[in-house]
Amino acid sequence: MSGFLEGLRCSECIDWGEKRNTIASIAAGVLWWISWWIIIDAAVIYPTMEEFNHSYHATIAFLMINAVSNGQVRGDSYSEGCLGQTGARIWLFIGFMLAFGSLIASMWILFGGYVAKEKAVVYPGIAVFFQNAFIFFGGLVFKFGRTEDLWQ
Amino acid sequence: LSFTALVLLSFSGAIGLTFLMLGCALEDYGVYWPLFVLIFHAISPIPHFIAKRATYDSDATSSACRELAYFFTTGIVVSAFGFPVILARVAVIKWGACGLVLAGNAVIFLTIQGFFLVFGRGDDFSWEQW
Repeated sequence: MSGFLEGLRCSECIDWGEKRNTIASIAAGVLWWISWWIIIDAAVIYPTMEEFNHSYHATIAFLMINAVSNGQVRGDSYSEGCLGQTGARIWLFIGFMLAFGSLIASMWILFGGYVAKEKAVVYPGIAVFFQNAFIFFGGLVFKFGRTEDLWQ
Repeated sequence: LSFTALVLLSFSGAIGLTFLMLGCALEDYGVYWPLFVLIFHAISPIPHFIAKRATYDSDATSSACRELAYFFTTGIVVSAFGFPVILARVAVIKWGACGLVLAGNAVIFLTIQGFFLVFGRGDDFSWEQW
């Protein structure tokens, strides 16, 4: 019983050989695009700004996190890029900060702006929260679900 | 064998398009906005071809370009399913029409995937024909 969690270390067990990157890309794509369609849905149903605040920071966070490959942060790649390894780390740091910030802000908007004020329509708040959550997890899957060994 | 596959694929493509047209043209419905999903169907193979062309010379199993292509293809597929749902939620089309369009989408995307599986295997897939 004491060792039963040892078999669950998922960084090794999700290696279905060559398909891993494909599956990770597709899963991340599904999460990301569903999040956008949730927002389009909320924007279509509630077009005015006071019911629904149209803001898109999570997308930028996703783009930033995934613009930098893991290899550049570790310093393995041959070309330094224009900012070098430290620049890559700072970029990734800012990207993750934006991602976490967007997630927390969306929870804040949901609970502070919609639930606590007991607004009549809660759905825009829920939509914003789910959009951010999906983009966050989609970004994580896209970044950490793929291995760069398959790129050699 | 590939002749049979071609006939079967064209049949399923026709079924898919029939579902789509039924969703638009039946007397109860009569709204033609769902035909816009055809745009999504048409552009869905494009990221794959762009990635294939861009990484033609490399031997690697996978690459960032291919994975980005899968990401965008998934997005196009999800959009083709999301678009009728949104139309139905704002009551531009009825839910019955939405259901027919979604069924048509599923069949057409399976047909496109079938095309890639059956006819995409050739190693002598030369681009000079274009």
